[in-house]
Amino acid sequence: MKQILKKEYEKAVLDLSNGVKMEGRLIGANAVSSGEMVFSTGMLAYSEAMTDPSYLGQILVFSFSLIGNYGIPSSNEGDFLKSYGYESAGIKTQGIIVSDTFDDCFHYEHGKNLREWLLLSGVPGIAGIDTRRLVQMIRDAKKPLFGRIVPQNKNAFYDNTRFEFLKNFGRTDFVDPSQYNLLPSVSVKTPITLGKGKNKIALLDFGTKFNIARIFAQNDCTVEILPWDSDVEKVNCDAWVLSNGPGDPQNTGGVINNVKKLLKGNKPVLGICLGHQIMALAAGAKTRKLLRGHRSFNQPVFEVETRRGFMTSQNHSFEVNRKSLPKGWQVWFENANDGSIEGIKHKNKPFMSAQFHPEASGGPNDTTWIIKEFIKLIA
Amino acid sequence: MPILNFLKPVKNKKQKVLLLGSGALSIGQAGEFDYSGSQAIKALEEEGLEVIVLNPNIASVQTNPAPNKKVYLYPVTPFWIEKIIKKERPAAIIAGFGGQTSLNCVIELENSGVLKKYGVKVLGTQVSALEMSEDRDLFSKQMHSIGVPTPPSKAVRSVEDALKIAAEIGYPVITRSAYALGGLGSGLAENPQQLEKLAASALTAVPQILIEKSLHGWKEIEYEVMRDSRGNCITICNMENFDPMGIHTGDSIVIAPCQTLNNRENNMLRDAAIKIIQSIAVVGECNVQFALSPFTLEYFVIEVNARLSRSSALASKATGYPIAFVAAKVVCGFELLELKNPVTGTTSAFYEPSLDYVSLKIPRWDLKKFTGVSKQLGTQMKSVGEVMSIGRNFCEVMQKAIRMVQEDEEGLSKEIFKDAQNKELLSELLNPTNMRVFAIYELFRRGFTVQSVQNHTKIEPWFLSHLYYLSQLEGEVREFFKNIKLPSKITPKDIAKHFKDIDREYLKRLKSRGFSDFQLTKFLLSTAAAQRKFTVKEITALSLSLRALRKKLKITPVVKQIDTTSAEYATKSNYLYLTYDGNFNDVSIKSKNRSVITLGSGSYRIGSSLEFDWCSVMTSRYFKQQKDDSIIINCNPETVSTDYNSSDRLYFEELSFERVMDIADIERPRGVVACMGGQNPNNLTPYLANAGVKLLGHSYETVDKAEDRTKFSAILDRLCIDQPKWTSAASRAEIDAFIEEVGFPVLIRPSFVLSGTLMNVANDKQTLDYYLSLTKDISADYPVVLSQFILDAKELECDGVAKNGEVLVSFISEHVENAGVHSGDATMVFPSEKIYVKTVNSIRDIVRKIAKELKLNGPFNIQFIAKDNDVKVIECNARASRSFPFITKVSGHNLAETACKVMDEKPVSKIFVDESEIPYTGIKASMFSFQRLDGADPILGVEMASTGEVGCIGKNFNEAMLLAMESTQIKTPKKGILLSTGRERDKIKFMEVINNVYAFGLPVYATWGTAEYLQARGYNAVQLGYHKSPTPLDIIKEGKVDFVINVHKSLDLTELEYNSAIRKLAVKCNCSLLTNLEKSIAYLKAFDSYQALLEKEDLIHL
Repeated sequence: MKQILKKEYEKAVLDLSNGVKMEGRLIGANAVSSGEMVFSTGMLAYSEAMTDPSYLGQILVFSFSLIGNYGIPSSNEGDFLKSYGYESAGIKTQGIIVSDTFDDCFHYEHGKNLREWLLLSGVPGIAGIDTRRLVQMIRDAKKPLFGRIVPQNKNAFYDNTRFEFLKNFGRTDFVDPSQYNLLPSVSVKTPITLGKGKNKIALLDFGTKFNIARIFAQNDCTVEILPWDSDVEKVNCDAWVLSNGPGDPQNTGGVINNVKKLLKGNKPVLGICLGHQIMALAAGAKTRKLLRGHRSFNQPVFEVETRRGFMTSQNHSFEVNRKSLPKGWQVWFENANDGSIEGIKHKNKPFMSAQFHPEASGGPNDTTWIIKEFIKLIA
Repeated sequence: MPILNFLKPVKNKKQKVLLLGSGALSIGQAGEFDYSGSQAIKALEEEGLEVIVLNPNIASVQTNPAPNKKVYLYPVTPFWIEKIIKKERPAAIIAGFGGQTSLNCVIELENSGVLKKYGVKVLGTQVSALEMSEDRDLFSKQMHSIGVPTPPSKAVRSVEDALKIAAEIGYPVITRSAYALGGLGSGLAENPQQLEKLAASALTAVPQILIEKSLHGWKEIEYEVMRDSRGNCITICNMENFDPMGIHTGDSIVIAPCQTLNNRENNMLRDAAIKIIQSIAVVGECNVQFALSPFTLEYFVIEVNARLSRSSALASKATGYPIAFVAAKVVCGFELLELKNPVTGTTSAFYEPSLDYVSLKIPRWDLKKFTGVSKQLGTQMKSVGEVMSIGRNFCEVMQKAIRMVQEDEEGLSKEIFKDAQNKELLSELLNPTNMRVFAIYELFRRGFTVQSVQNHTKIEPWFLSHLYYLSQLEGEVREFFKNIKLPSKITPKDIAKHFKDIDREYLKRLKSRGFSDFQLTKFLLSTAAAQRKFTVKEITALSLSLRALRKKLKITPVVKQIDTTSAEYATKSNYLYLTYDGNFNDVSIKSKNRSVITLGSGSYRIGSSLEFDWCSVMTSRYFKQQKDDSIIINCNPETVSTDYNSSDRLYFEELSFERVMDIADIERPRGVVACMGGQNPNNLTPYLANAGVKLLGHSYETVDKAEDRTKFSAILDRLCIDQPKWTSAASRAEIDAFIEEVGFPVLIRPSFVLSGTLMNVANDKQTLDYYLSLTKDISADYPVVLSQFILDAKELECDGVAKNGEVLVSFISEHVENAGVHSGDATMVFPSEKIYVKTVNSIRDIVRKIAKELKLNGPFNIQFIAKDNDVKVIECNARASRSFPFITKVSGHNLAETACKVMDEKPVSKIFVDESEIPYTGIKASMFSFQRLDGADPILGVEMASTGEVGCIGKNFNEAMLLAMESTQIKTPKKGILLSTGRERDKIKFMEVINNVYAFGLPVYATWGTAEYLQARGYNAVQLGYHKSPTPLDIIKEGKVDFVINVHKSLDLTELEYNSAIRKLAVKCNCSLLTNLEKSIAYLKAFDSYQALLEKEDLIHL
């Protein structure tokens, strides 16, 4: 028999809603999965991104060609809230698409490699895809693009219980997460407390990144992470933080009304990402979906008043409409590339919000000062 | 804030800005500053400023004359800067774009009050900040005040203190003594026992030693940071060294972006980098180097360079972000927020590029060119150039970069250490040299583990494991080919047949991991026909069948853009690379476009430097102007040719046959220019011609006739043109027969060298035997080329352009040194001054004949030896030469442009330039970097040793000579002079300038014979002997002399050794050293015009 030099890989196809199919090597779980296609141009922090609840319902394409170099950090005795590299208790993306991964990891903090982590988490990924081409395709799409990861293996499982909202979709559907209120899928069910500081922060969990809580806790705060639909009037705290989270800010149940109540009071309120959009909506402004979101660690923003510039970490599909900003509010930060609103501030009251992530993780720490300054407002 | 007020035009008159260049290329300060200066000039001109450039580096693009620009080819020293300031009265001076040289000058000028006196402002980082970043103690204090750690270090005077401090710092520690030469007292101590021994022995020799924390094995990480005057900061790129701390970053393999750092480590260092430059208040560009522990979050800042640097040039090319261009705008007062990213044209310059690829730099060493140099890599940089590769994975970039730097399609898998013992290989790992990567790969081939190699090298295992993976892939392929028996006559079909048995996906994986067709073909040949030897030509020819098979299987590389945004924004970026790790092209080349590909020069190295980049840039600009799509292929990040707007499309790629063919397949050019980038692209000529690629200019036949020694020699014989006698000897008997005929001295050039230099002059039987003992056994496969070595003859060169065998324009220049000094090291005078009319006529006649016979059709350079009107031809290069920019700028006639017109088949008529009308004399002189090359003998010989050159112009020879020498670090003596003037006849000749020696009014020392000779003629000289104290070495060591003339008496080995010791020490002790008689005489004679030159106010400019 003729010998052939060959290596067998398990294959998977990325099936896109525009009809394009791309084939690559299956990494991670032998599972069918679907979501909205988004890309990130961040070159590091893949574990932070994959556990960031804002990516719920999305398939994340990493534009950087080598993902997994330093492995996945081992978690601190399973306590993800305290473990660097994890922004929530597990993978939130529907899947990942990468150009290449490497299994040998040597970083002293690493526990597993990327492939093992995906497998254990029941999440599929595809490697060996021309990710630059895919990024361009997502970038140039005239409407949101959806994708399905379909392993070649017919026995691939389909799990629609991973998150609450997935129950709405079948094995062959393109999952479009923004149709649903995603907060119940990612928020804590019961309050959790972190830190023992003198300032008491109530963090409304719309799918918070743990680093928000960590930074507050490191700066003399006790942070109470509350379920998304908590009754805000019953909470005893010094200040409020509205977290980031997935989905359409207008599709968040009664959250906007809840936040309206906060804006009637005088306690400091800080909104981050989805929290920023929700605060803007509660103040009376409008939001709209961007044709393509900002997802990277190099979004340049500047403080309008001072023209101080910062590199920011971002992950969002919606923005606050500048013209809709009600009286009494001002633009705090602006994007240096496209002029979009990156933060708003109340003119008299201690209410402020940022579209970007001052807690970074991943990405630059240029705007951590926002959290520190916010804490100072607690008299 | 827009442009600074004092830079705004006054009454419609443009303001002037003085930009300092870095002078001649030397180790540690190379071509990167031509790139940054050129970008800065573009940015400044755009803002309506008149740029005054001071830089004697005549081959640089930045010294091209242009409207709104004046170029001064003078030494970059405070003295000359002040003269230019006085004449031009610029509003401001820019220091950040000319390396350390320009920075030091501006610091000095500020402190001496010159800048204040003339009201010249310093643009960018202010002098007080520069001084702080340069001063170790001030810097360290500043860093501690902002909480950034610097490596702990303390001076001690006793063993007890040493142990106490070491305990505080933590082991391992390094001991260092500040005042001792030759590393006396330096060492590494892992524990108190070792330290006690080291310190005790060191403290007997010196009163004080430094105890420093050893960071050997830590990761070395760099950040390129830019800050504007408002205080906004960006980190444009981070880079990680493949080699651990301990090897100079200029000698390290460097990858961008960092690969093994996680988010927390990266942002911790990024925060520190920003904090540092905020605290120094840098305005413009800055490079920050860190050492990071591989096991904890501990780090130290090692160094800060508040200027454009080699790393910033690399970062600029690695990311596509034009750092120097933006930095130039920033130092003029612009805010980053108000500038656009020039690559996208739409987004903000206040931006940190995101990469979707990796890029890898590998330095190029030319250590084999130096006698006696230590090849070991350490804290002293030794490399002379670099290459950068771009790809989508580490294996790909590593393999590409090694092929680029070796100029060899075999790359990493070349079996350099095949016959080495494991012990030898492991010792290579412990004491790394420039060959360490090959040793690592060989060990992996032999089954060594990543862990064991890491233990020996301290190289991050992530990098090693990729090399290991490549060795596994090679192993699999070889294993697969193991049972194949190739027929005795191998045809391309046989090759294709076996590669067809490799699964398409597997083959694509091999390609995407960077294996070249040549490598894969050689795996097959060396496995399945192991007994046979194949030439590079044969393997290349056979590999074409693999190429054809791949194309049939649609395994071809794709073109990707470098756009700074990882495709987040659509850009029209023309900055491209090829990869097999992808399936789609970013750009589509419309076949109706007429495109011309210019092949660049590749890495700078000894013998091919900036001048060939100048030629490439001129060529690309010419075709751009002709409305062709002008394409450049080059892989050298230090160049102007790889600037984003030097061409219409830049392929940052290998100059290998396979890759050039890939690009030719994509571009379908109307022609390829291979004769403007020096020898490297010229070597591709036969392969490209065979593959049917249209070469512009000289035909392959022409190049072949000029390059092939035997063919060229036969042509000269036929044309009755004289040449030095030579032979290619295949045995000792043949060698002896040749020497019998021509006599000593002879030039020997072995085809295989075990160690030492390639070429040597043998003066007698003893030296001949010695040099032959260094070569492999002489045989028909490894012949030795011998040529007659003519003493006391002049060397002349003719540079020009011919069209269809007819000379259109040519210029003759002469060497100051007699024949025997490599033309790349020689001092060149143009227009020539001291040659007979008869010699000129003979040369012109010979040039006409050769041009006609070879059908030269493009740029050429022919070298001659002349003795008493007897003219012999040494060699002919059917390509642009090293002296093209020099001749062009001095004559005012652009040779490169004429060459382009010929290649473009445009009508050009004969050009006559009357050299007598050139109002000045130009001198091109070479720059040597021996100070950086421990152990190297700083002598001029038949092998080229210079790392750079300058070209200065003066009213006459003397002025130009003085300027050129000062520009190459030959300083006027201040303390004392040591003479050793060679043979009797040399001593007689030297008397011509002896009065100028004594006119310095300094003590004159001389070696035994020279002193005797001088004393006999009534000149007072302190006589020094080798065996009687004080010896010449003592005098140098004690700092009694700072100027040494050392002309060797003969090529006798003992004589050579004595003098070698003097020369090495002179260089080490920072003395000016001249080793050539004619050059020494010319220099000393030039002092006749010294006063006149110093008093001159009206400096000549281009």
